[in-house]
Amino acid sequence: MGELVYKARWCVWGFLVLALATAPVWGSDYVVLFCMLFCLYLALGQMWNLLIGYSGLLSLGQQAFIGFSGYTVAVVTNYYGVYIWVSVLIGGVLSGLLALFMSLFIFRMRGVYFGIGTWIFAEALMLWFGQWRYVKYAQGLFIKPEHPPSITALYYGALIIGVGAVVLVYRILRSKIGLGLMAMRDDEAVSSTMGVEVFRSKLFCFLIAALVTGLTAGVLYTFQIFIQPYKAFAIDWTVKLVFIVVIGGIGTIEGPIVGAFIYVLLSQWLAEYISVSLLILGAIAIMVILVAPKGIMGTIQERLGFEILSPRRR
Amino acid sequence: MQDILQPILNGILLGGLYAVIAIGLSTMFGIVKLVNLAHGDLMILSSYLSLVLASSTGLSPYWTILAVVPVMYFVGFFVQGLLLNRVLGKEMEPPLLVTFGLSIILQNLLLLIFTPDARSLMSSLTLKTIPVTGSLNIPVVYLVDFLAGLAVIFCLYYFFQKSYLGRAIRAASDDESAAQLMGINTKNIYAKAMGIAMMTAGIAGVLIGTTFTFYPHTGPQYLIVAFGVIVIGGFGSMKGCFVGGFILAMAQLMGSHFLGPGYQLLSGYVVLLIVLALRPQGIFGTV
Amino acid sequence: MAETVALQVSGLDVHYKDFQALWDVSVQVAHGRVVSIIGANGAGKSTLLNTTSGLFTPTRGTIEFHGNRIDGQPPHETVARGISLVPEGRRVFPRLTVYENLFIGSYTPQSRPGREQALATIYELFPVLKDRRDQMADTLSGGEQQMLAIGRALMSEPKLILCDEISLGLAPVIIAGIYKRLKQINTEGITIVLVEQDITRSLKAADYTYILLEGKVVLEGQPGVLTEEQVKKAYFGI
Repeated sequence: MGELVYKARWCVWGFLVLALATAPVWGSDYVVLFCMLFCLYLALGQMWNLLIGYSGLLSLGQQAFIGFSGYTVAVVTNYYGVYIWVSVLIGGVLSGLLALFMSLFIFRMRGVYFGIGTWIFAEALMLWFGQWRYVKYAQGLFIKPEHPPSITALYYGALIIGVGAVVLVYRILRSKIGLGLMAMRDDEAVSSTMGVEVFRSKLFCFLIAALVTGLTAGVLYTFQIFIQPYKAFAIDWTVKLVFIVVIGGIGTIEGPIVGAFIYVLLSQWLAEYISVSLLILGAIAIMVILVAPKGIMGTIQERLGFEILSPRRR
Repeated sequence: MQDILQPILNGILLGGLYAVIAIGLSTMFGIVKLVNLAHGDLMILSSYLSLVLASSTGLSPYWTILAVVPVMYFVGFFVQGLLLNRVLGKEMEPPLLVTFGLSIILQNLLLLIFTPDARSLMSSLTLKTIPVTGSLNIPVVYLVDFLAGLAVIFCLYYFFQKSYLGRAIRAASDDESAAQLMGINTKNIYAKAMGIAMMTAGIAGVLIGTTFTFYPHTGPQYLIVAFGVIVIGGFGSMKGCFVGGFILAMAQLMGSHFLGPGYQLLSGYVVLLIVLALRPQGIFGTV
Repeated sequence: MAETVALQVSGLDVHYKDFQALWDVSVQVAHGRVVSIIGANGAGKSTLLNTTSGLFTPTRGTIEFHGNRIDGQPPHETVARGISLVPEGRRVFPRLTVYENLFIGSYTPQSRPGREQALATIYELFPVLKDRRDQMADTLSGGEQQMLAIGRALMSEPKLILCDEISLGLAPVIIAGIYKRLKQINTEGITIVLVEQDITRSLKAADYTYILLEGKVVLEGQPGVLTEEQVKKAYFGI
């Protein structure tokens, strides 16, 4: 039965991607919106998982890239009249550069030091942007492109990023870098003596994750039209990422897919209970860690003994 | 030039408070190798506890410490015993994520119960100052913070050096299995250690509440303070906590003095990041 | 005349995840005796001691101490019953002083009252520990750390001491001194189980011996009765 499912997996993926790609045709506006958010959170989740699940980097500061990219898009589009999709691209690239800058300070750190370092950067950026006249302080900015993209265009942008993120992670993990990462995950000291370039691999993943997160944020904020520092750089983003990846399964490629789906579903319902939404997300995440630390996909993989989107070579 | 002396004096006094804020975090890291991301929020929880007690009894918030400290001991004991002991193990992520979740839950619970309004613990000492020279004053509240800080750290030092439990905790943090072979129930010890760390957090929370305004989301700010103190002063060092506390407080107040009050926190963050980059083990670091 | 059985291990299986370290191991230690367990590296000797102490739980079989079952109990309960382990590699607490290491040895409630007395006994047994009482444990030499580890194990006033490879890495003259002290301890009525790779010395010291090979007991008997030939064969599995 395992072999059959394994061979059939490409059909299943193909079907899913096809369904998503044609959603604007068969789905209602609500469905399209749902799928768009799904794709965006999927990308964010895949990147956070790449960091914590495969590179051993706990990032509590992805919101630094989200806010930074969002503001880049706003500034470049509003003040310089750049075409919106180019702005999004610039947002992604600048996020990558921000990550490079951050790495100068925090990349010698291990574990929680690294995590808190990223968090501090995000907090510092929040404070900075809140006091910066250039971006109208804490009032926030409206993103006003000359040719605002249609919902369909935004949807396909999100789709490309979402599916692209999954494919990207898959390809990275199947590459030489990926093999090194997985060895590193098991035993860092040993793998470094075998010439696995621990530092470079981690840095590579950190930069890629920042870049894709930036691209995602660009699309997200273009859709949301308004950006404000206390929300853009808030720790809330990390809470959502923790939820998505933990529920889905840390260290699995399928995990964030499941997690993002559950999250978008849940957030629609939680929209009515804003004050408790983060509380509920946090509580659920804690319970999952205590009870089933491998998350949904991780537990399934353990029970069935195989991985659906396995990066392992056969 | 004269008016720089006041921020310097404030910085020295505040350093004592920052040391108390950090000592609980530092202790737990030394024992179970875990950074409690909810540390700041637990301190703010104490501030709110004190607020409730003080306003319902009419007592000065300093008296509430007598009640807050034992309550926080049990909070710490159960958090460690029921939640964290379960996920302590080879991997670093699960306990960190659990404390992260705890932090979020605490903040939002406090938000629900107390609303986002800023609060503060008022006492008869609140606005008093002791004049030193013409333009130099010692804010009494800061002085109390400083002295309390000294007292807490000395008590903790003697506890760890001289008592059975204190030595057992040190033994367990050196070598868990060997400690078990001495008859030490290490899981129970960790819970007690967390209880003690939370007692210091309780005191810190009340002191914070009397010194600054607080609201449900103030927690992380103090987590970063605690973290900064430990990074600058060095892990596993009590005198490092003091020195780190002074340096961080000084950095913040100098930033505020020269650049404006809005830059206070930011100056602290910048100094922290620089130390992280240049000398990650801190000044007295043993790791 | 039947002797009381201090420790009875019956049909013990111990697994590390998928790997089986001990196969149907049965060992009997009479009260007040010295029993040695010999075997090459990886034979399972440490596993046996660690399981007895409670650091591991057996997958099958029982361990009884003076008639009470102790398998599967956490280590701190085993210590309270009167079994002390001197672990492989000594494992003294590096950031505590010699005095503090000994102090912690009397952590169990029943041994606390007798602490000062026990300390005096240990200082008499190992005078160098008294000389170095305020030094950090990690500044001691190998032999001194071994003495500290043994002294620490004695602080809990055990009825049975398990010694895991106490001669490892030490000079012969130091080892001789330690074994002499062990004999002294044994005459006071404390049962000793010695795990060693060094065949000669442990055979000389023991009243009874077991030889382990790849997790199984392959030979047992009184050292005087067993021939050198037999022992060597069993040890190397020829």
